Amino acid sequence: MRHPVRVIALLFILTALTGAAALPGQGAPAKLRVAMILPGTIQDADFNAVGYVALLALKNTLGVEIAYSEQVAVADAERVAREFIAAGSNVIAFHGGQFLTIVQKLGPAFPNVNFIMESSGRIEGLPPNVWNIGRKFYQGFYTLGVLAALSTQTNVIGYISGVRLPDFVASLNAVKAALREFNPRAQLLYTFVGDQNDPVRARQAAESVIARHADFIIIQVNLGAFGVIEAAKAAPRKVLWTTFYTDKYTLDPSRFAASLLLDFTKPYREVVARIQRGERGGYYEMRPGAGMSLGVIRNVSNETKLRVLQVFNDVVRNTRQIEEITDRILE
Amino acid sequence: MSVVFDPQLVRLTLVVMVPFLVAALGELLTERAGVLNVAIEGIMVVGAVTAFLVAFSTGSHAGGLLAAMGAGALIAALLAYFAITLRASQLTVGLGLFVLCVGLGSLFYRIVIGVRLMVPQIRTLPPLPLPALAALPGIGPVLFAHNAVVYLALVLTAAVSLLLFRTSWGLRLRAVGENPRAADVLGIDVVAMRYAATIAGGALIGLAGGYLPLGITGTYSDGMVGGRGWIALMLVIFGRWTPALVLAGALLFAYIEALQFKVALVAKAVPPQFLLMLPYVFAILVLIRVYQGAAAPEAIMRPYDREERA
Repeated sequence: MRHPVRVIALLFILTALTGAAALPGQGAPAKLRVAMILPGTIQDADFNAVGYVALLALKNTLGVEIAYSEQVAVADAERVAREFIAAGSNVIAFHGGQFLTIVQKLGPAFPNVNFIMESSGRIEGLPPNVWNIGRKFYQGFYTLGVLAALSTQTNVIGYISGVRLPDFVASLNAVKAALREFNPRAQLLYTFVGDQNDPVRARQAAESVIARHADFIIIQVNLGAFGVIEAAKAAPRKVLWTTFYTDKYTLDPSRFAASLLLDFTKPYREVVARIQRGERGGYYEMRPGAGMSLGVIRNVSNETKLRVLQVFNDVVRNTRQIEEITDRILE
Repeated sequence: MSVVFDPQLVRLTLVVMVPFLVAALGELLTERAGVLNVAIEGIMVVGAVTAFLVAFSTGSHAGGLLAAMGAGALIAALLAYFAITLRASQLTVGLGLFVLCVGLGSLFYRIVIGVRLMVPQIRTLPPLPLPALAALPGIGPVLFAHNAVVYLALVLTAAVSLLLFRTSWGLRLRAVGENPRAADVLGIDVVAMRYAATIAGGALIGLAGGYLPLGITGTYSDGMVGGRGWIALMLVIFGRWTPALVLAGALLFAYIEALQFKVALVAKAVPPQFLLMLPYVFAILVLIRVYQGAAAPEAIMRPYDREERA
């Protein structure tokens, strides 16, 4: 009888020990599995690529497990998110500003999952397990507007945007404000081509503004930028251009003016690190100086460069206030 | 200068017209033989990615365009095998191939290029000013200083028209599309004619796709075909299956598409979404009018089985 009792006791102790090892300690966060949902292809060298880079950085710096699904339409995003959750992901990141309603729906439905979303700013009433990255594009575009205002020779500036999103409307208004302040004689020709990633349409739009004597184009489309750049190359006069998200200097070094660079690594790393520390939700503002920087300015005078950098630094330090108007285009 | 007519608009119209026209000519050839190729949009995608990757790897525009034609022909041959040899539903196979091609385009690019923060780019086709003509004041730079594919598209229109309506081969092809049984009785090889037309049409559709990265953007992106294949399919109906009218339709549609951006710059009271749908509204309106009385090839979408009882 003594031997069976010892064996059972030994088994009990072993089971208790292995069980304790397998279960996380009380309050200790489970291993994070971050799944990112991207609206476009990660090979776009633009918005989706920088999102993917941020995701890889999470794996490399914070040691989290990652997964992603690209080219997810808004209509499919909820299904994809639910599949990730069912597969064990406990942080769902929606890379893009078009997923708000899905996050509002999924947040309460999955209280143990953290959601990360992007928007144009603070949003009241978000579920407690949602992190909101507010992207203040307009503050960066204001600086590009200053650059355009000080660089144009014809006083005609083109602005090629894609979809009429609130962020982009705010950016357009910020550029208009910059022109009023730094070159009131300059005229802004703007157009929304209806697609962020159609370079053919973007080229058509760019050729139209170039035909009306624009010699500086501010680009606010993603893959569409390549169409604008081709139109600038084919123009009868020198047409400078700016882009955003990534540095596209090498595409045409002689006409590139500047890029508004967005580093999503910074907000995502901070948000996920805070989730690891047990925080559930919050707000991170992405703006000049916080994930948003101005790349090297080229093909303009040194005086213009210095002036633009000074303005950018003022925006970073919040010593220059720019009005954010998202609901209408100022005429 | 008028918003609705200025030299830049005419020049842009010609540039934009090319993919519509060349793809529609390919579709027209195919349909004239009695085969409906609804994989057209997908074949353009494969044409675009193939042209870009080959031109990027070799530095040769001609090589890229030829490769695009080859890829288009290959996909069309697959369609022909299913639709002609196996007598499968042309619509079902075509739609299946469309979906496959869209996926293949993305896959090929991912395999060769991978994920980068800087998109690889190629030089677009250089302009080829026609001697003497390009120097004509006013119209010279607008009409005669385009890249080679713009001229090629116009030459192809004439060539397809001549082939279809001025050669015995064209007559046989049309007979196959109208009444394959009668053609067969007359000793025409229906299967061979349909294969030839479908493959040649696929090559032209591939060329149309290849023109987008090589002629317009200098780079490839998923979704860059942007429905132009479907518009080309519509243009064949608009053109009542004749190359000259297809050319007119392509010019008209390209003009409307180019015009919307000029109008957008001046008509700020008009919502941009309305202007963006303008070409498609125009297409629907025109089609409603044009389709009345238009006669498609009689045997289109009907697989031919010589053993079948009439």
